[in-house]
Amino acid sequence: MSNTLGAEPADGHQSQGTPGAGNAAAAARPAPPPAATRRRRGRAKLRFEIAVLSGPAILVFLAFVIFPVALAAFYGFYRWHGYGPPTDWVGLNNYKLILTDPAFQQVLWHTGVILVLSLAVQGPLAIGLALLLNQRIRGRSAIRVLIFVPYVVSEVIVGTGWSLMLQSSGALNDLLRHLGLGFLQADWLSDPKLAIWTLLGIISWKYIGFAVILMLAGLQSIPEELSEAAQIDGASYWQIQRRITLPLLGPTIRIWAFLSIIGSLQLFDLVYIIWGPYVAGTAGTSTMAIYMVGQGRNAGNYGYGSAIAVVMFLISLVVALLYQRFLLRRDLQGAITEGAS
Amino acid sequence: MTRKTRRTAAAAIALGITLAVTGCAGSDGGGSGGSSDGKVTLTLWENAQPGAGAEYWKAAGAAYEALHPNVKINIQTIQNEDLDGKLQTALNSGSAPDIFLQRGGGKMQAMVQAGQVQALDLTDADKANAGAAGIAGYTIDGKTYAMPVDTQPEGVYYSKDLFQQAGITAPPTTMPELQDAVAKLKAIGVAPIAVGAKDAWPAAHWYYNFALRECSQDTLKKAAQSLKFDDPCWTKAGEDLASFLKVEPFQQGFLTTSSQQGAGSSAGLIANHKAGMELMGNWNPGVIASLTPDQKPLPDLGWFPFPAVPGGQGDPAAIMGGLDGFSLSKKAPKEALDFLRFLVTTDQQKEYAKAFVAIPVNKEAQAGVTEPYNVSALQAFNKAPYSVLFLDTEYGQNVGNAMNTAVVNLFAGKGGGADIAKDTNAAAAKG
Repeated sequence: MSNTLGAEPADGHQSQGTPGAGNAAAAARPAPPPAATRRRRGRAKLRFEIAVLSGPAILVFLAFVIFPVALAAFYGFYRWHGYGPPTDWVGLNNYKLILTDPAFQQVLWHTGVILVLSLAVQGPLAIGLALLLNQRIRGRSAIRVLIFVPYVVSEVIVGTGWSLMLQSSGALNDLLRHLGLGFLQADWLSDPKLAIWTLLGIISWKYIGFAVILMLAGLQSIPEELSEAAQIDGASYWQIQRRITLPLLGPTIRIWAFLSIIGSLQLFDLVYIIWGPYVAGTAGTSTMAIYMVGQGRNAGNYGYGSAIAVVMFLISLVVALLYQRFLLRRDLQGAITEGAS
Repeated sequence: MTRKTRRTAAAAIALGITLAVTGCAGSDGGGSGGSSDGKVTLTLWENAQPGAGAEYWKAAGAAYEALHPNVKINIQTIQNEDLDGKLQTALNSGSAPDIFLQRGGGKMQAMVQAGQVQALDLTDADKANAGAAGIAGYTIDGKTYAMPVDTQPEGVYYSKDLFQQAGITAPPTTMPELQDAVAKLKAIGVAPIAVGAKDAWPAAHWYYNFALRECSQDTLKKAAQSLKFDDPCWTKAGEDLASFLKVEPFQQGFLTTSSQQGAGSSAGLIANHKAGMELMGNWNPGVIASLTPDQKPLPDLGWFPFPAVPGGQGDPAAIMGGLDGFSLSKKAPKEALDFLRFLVTTDQQKEYAKAFVAIPVNKEAQAGVTEPYNVSALQAFNKAPYSVLFLDTEYGQNVGNAMNTAVVNLFAGKGGGADIAKDTNAAAAKG
């Protein structure tokens, strides 16, 4: 399907015919040129507006994003403890150390597991919940709000709350004991066999709301006539979902998965708050960002830490580019061609 | 307005916004200096908690200003965990405070190497006030880079009430006695020892103290230079810790317990009589006091030195400890040194000790120490043949961090005694 992010009706031919889409495209085009001078002045004005509106943002972006990235790349070539300017040039040695450090391979593995399992757990769950909440059921808005609330609460609060509840002397174990389920009590946070699942549980609880809202938006852009027509043709509920809803929801799912992947690659705050940089390693929940902070700030090896930041940046960039190239291409193509034509 | 000027104006506005946003990091906090009329403003960074500590600094500044009307002391309290980072940035950007908290060890060495701190020109009177042990802790190659204000001998803080309930008659002096106490405390249903392993360093201090007992003073000193941990005593210390862990002396879930925040922290467990002992430095009574139900000092708090380890090469009376002191940044005027001298005078040290419930470096002021745990700690400190800085301070952040991480692994049951030395050696390669 070549529709844009759920905003357009699915059928390409139909959408070109609808007046809304046509007008939007025409408005974006420069006005037809009655005289050459007027057109030039229009262009200049447009450029001026672009400069005024985006100039500050671009400068701030350069100062706070591009410049630090360049700086990290620069520091990555030094052995530097952060006092005085870096002087001890070590070339690519930091990168060599990172790639041979078993601790880095470990965090890479953890990050990969978190990434794959987040997709596998949250995706189906979110689609299911969205389908459910798209029905006219009692208390629909209340449930929608409840599901979305964890996403709005800050990571610090979520992390602190869960870590208190999941302590070995915490509320969950207490609850289990009082329910007579004492045999289920466990060391949810420090047992390396459990900790990664605990983390996944908390991540899913926290971020599922966002996925559900995205999916709901996607669902609502699917015209009801399609499923009505299919119903008349005798399709069952499951057939309709599988053949019509899911394919039309595809772009939404792909965008959500993209955000989820990038989020997983950079996961830091929840792990840092619940486990801290030291115990995360032994509990098996350490991530690339935790490793970076541990080696950079905590160990005071700012050169080495910067090199890790660069490696993280490159990994994220490659994943993002590959994903766009192979999975988002058709979705984006639709968006870009329609916007630019 | 013509089009051209309009465009320039827009660019100027945009640039201005950016400069305003980026420029604000320029000159906050730091800097100082004399002006032509002889007035001098000194900036000082410390980490006191709100309350008595913060009040002390205010009073000390005011007292000094009264004696020296041409000097103004600008005291800034910076939260402990933020202090290192802010200080580092300020030192690098040339906007460092004149006077700042200094804990010595590897970090101070890095500052000295980067030429960011002044060597202090101390008189005999200063040396007498500050005491030889404290000054030795801040001396590199014969030059002193900070003025000590308090000493933080480490040992085991314990609840006398719980010890009595468990039938422990005297504080343990050897490892077997400590293990015996652990068993007795378990029998009355409290956690024998609290440790906040989530923060790593409280767990690592167990390893440091085993190393203090297993390694000779010479070995500990040499390691600070070579950063190599090949002497068998390092492995032995790890094995001691591993076998101590086998008796399960620590509270349940110690890996995710933090050390100082809230009733569930290790200090909170002591404050609420849920655990019998905690190995800590001399700031601990204050932390415990803030976590008791009525936020008053724990009345039955006692202190004993880390028990002797049979067969170790370290002196069984040696003490591990930290220091708090103050350094001068490169550009600090000479009045700053005079203020440091003022801080170690007897009267000021007495006030300091009272406000921080700490052990001052000034011998005469030490006479005013009355809390039983501080008296025990002070006695042990004065008896000790030598004192060693906490190893993560002594060996620098990089090695210290690796050591702490390796100890947490051991606490989690991963790796053996030899791995600590191995991981620490590997970390030296990164820094």
